[in-house]
Amino acid sequence: MITFEAVTKRYPDGTVAVDSLDLDIPDGKVMVLVGPSGCGKTTTLRMINRLVEPTAGRVLIDGRNVADSDPSKLRRGIGYVIQQTGLFPHRTVEDNIATVPLLIGWKKASARARARELMDLVGLDPATMAGRYPYQLSGGQQQRVGVARALAADPPVLLMDEPFSAVDPIVRAALQDELIRLQAELHKTVVLVTHDVEEAIKVGDLVAVFRPGGHLAQVDTPERLLGAPADDYVRDFVGFDRGIRRLSFFPAAGLDLATDTVISAVTTFADAITAGRRAGEPWLLVAGADGRPLGWAAVADLAAGSPAAALADAELAPVGHTFRPDTDSLRAALDATILSRTERAVGVDASGRAIGTTSYERLRDAIRAAEDAADAGAGLVRQTAGEAR
Amino acid sequence: MQWSWIPQNWSIIWPYTLDNLLLGLVPPLIGLVISVPVGIACVAKRWLYPPVLSVASALYALPSLALFVVLIDYTGLGNLTVIIPLTLFSLCVLLPNVVDGLRSVQEPVRQAATAMGFGQLRRLVQVELPLAMPVVIAGLRIAVVSSISLASLGQLIGVSSLGYFFIDGLQRDFPTEIYVGLALTLLLALLCDVILVAARTVLTPWARGRRIAPSALTPGLPPAMGPA
Repeated sequence: MITFEAVTKRYPDGTVAVDSLDLDIPDGKVMVLVGPSGCGKTTTLRMINRLVEPTAGRVLIDGRNVADSDPSKLRRGIGYVIQQTGLFPHRTVEDNIATVPLLIGWKKASARARARELMDLVGLDPATMAGRYPYQLSGGQQQRVGVARALAADPPVLLMDEPFSAVDPIVRAALQDELIRLQAELHKTVVLVTHDVEEAIKVGDLVAVFRPGGHLAQVDTPERLLGAPADDYVRDFVGFDRGIRRLSFFPAAGLDLATDTVISAVTTFADAITAGRRAGEPWLLVAGADGRPLGWAAVADLAAGSPAAALADAELAPVGHTFRPDTDSLRAALDATILSRTERAVGVDASGRAIGTTSYERLRDAIRAAEDAADAGAGLVRQTAGEAR
Repeated sequence: MQWSWIPQNWSIIWPYTLDNLLLGLVPPLIGLVISVPVGIACVAKRWLYPPVLSVASALYALPSLALFVVLIDYTGLGNLTVIIPLTLFSLCVLLPNVVDGLRSVQEPVRQAATAMGFGQLRRLVQVELPLAMPVVIAGLRIAVVSSISLASLGQLIGVSSLGYFFIDGLQRDFPTEIYVGLALTLLLALLCDVILVAARTVLTPWARGRRIAPSALTPGLPPAMGPA
């Protein structure tokens, strides 16, 4: 646990970068500090490893004031990743990563073995990349080396200062996914600074929104930040489509799919018309013998055809996007539904078999239920926290 | 040009060449040993560099022959009288390169080193000095070539160098000797330069494909036109 207790940083020219900050960063979580430039987020980060010393207040790691530790020793136990990577141009990828293990006295061979292990972890092939120099790497590869170097001595805490800002959007998304994957494996206490609220919501377990002048506006889960911004500042900061984005945090498993709309390709037109009327649906999803969706049949059009013909011979509208109720979010389900010209989307299982279909009505009910549950749950958490205080 | 003169006089050509080489190498090496700590101090204390640079530039402007004459009173007609002025000139060339080299280390690299737990001394030795090397070697090339060329002047006060062949050739009106001295001076300079370039390639493989800062070629005078 990293704790800020009434921490203030005032520079000699009178600028206050951080003003009486109280913040708890729980172990094993990703805490994202986000805010506009000049809000004190980077200063806050750098006070953890004493690159910046607070003017007042205390920064504690597991109850110990960092001001009481020798700075160099403290820093060897805290990983640090920066935007411009700060890789040593004169050291190979392998030796860059081995830096901290060597500093804390590992044998060269074991430090290098560890470096190769980490290259695997961050998705760099040791056989081809170990001997390269930083100038021979792409921006994304450099950033991966930076992350590997920070993790080399297995520090419990990882500080990341705008780690993905300097790479293009596609590489950035890949690196963010990688961080999420790594974190699921490593459970570090990560403090990540960014000005990109999308990134904060994507990678953060908790997000601290800073206001200009070094004040905290809100510390909450990404879902709560989108669902219940503390004030207009946070509301503006998280952006205009926060209602849609919040749906990413609600699993599509909560969606009640229609199953009587899924019908086999061997069904005759006459039976299909009956089934459609019974279900009260204008569209039926036709599935093949293997259960995979083939396309949509319009019930109204079937009457024009021969009643004995099978659906396999009917003209079908394309299936469109599908989603996985067990792994996708309501946002994915809604997106698939919006994109389909039938205003319906198909939920499939792991092997691609159609389970059921959505409709706007069904989505609306699921979204309301999820939001109510989230708000009620968060309310309870709030209350308990209030009592504990 | 009398080619047969060369093999006949090999026994004197060789020692003069070696002496010239020594006079060309020792001053830059001493200059390097002095300019590294001074350069580090100038980078650490910013206010120090402008006055130090002014003094160095003023020294660079002194005619070497005048320095020889002044020094004879103190150090006599020995090697030292030549080595001291050449060392001063090397220093003038090397110091700005050491300072520029250290300053060429990018701030994120410095910051990352600190954040990983490097102390100041370790950061200097393991990160900043190695990264300054390409720029320092660029300065060393100029210093060595200048010193090799200037060393011949030592002959004017009797210090053995390839300058002997210029003076002797002139006095005896024998151009072959002058050409040989000239060719050997060029050859020595070229040889040393090739060795330094090779050293740079081996020592700083990471700098391939990177440019050396233009300031590495200061101060402005090309070596052939150096202070005489």
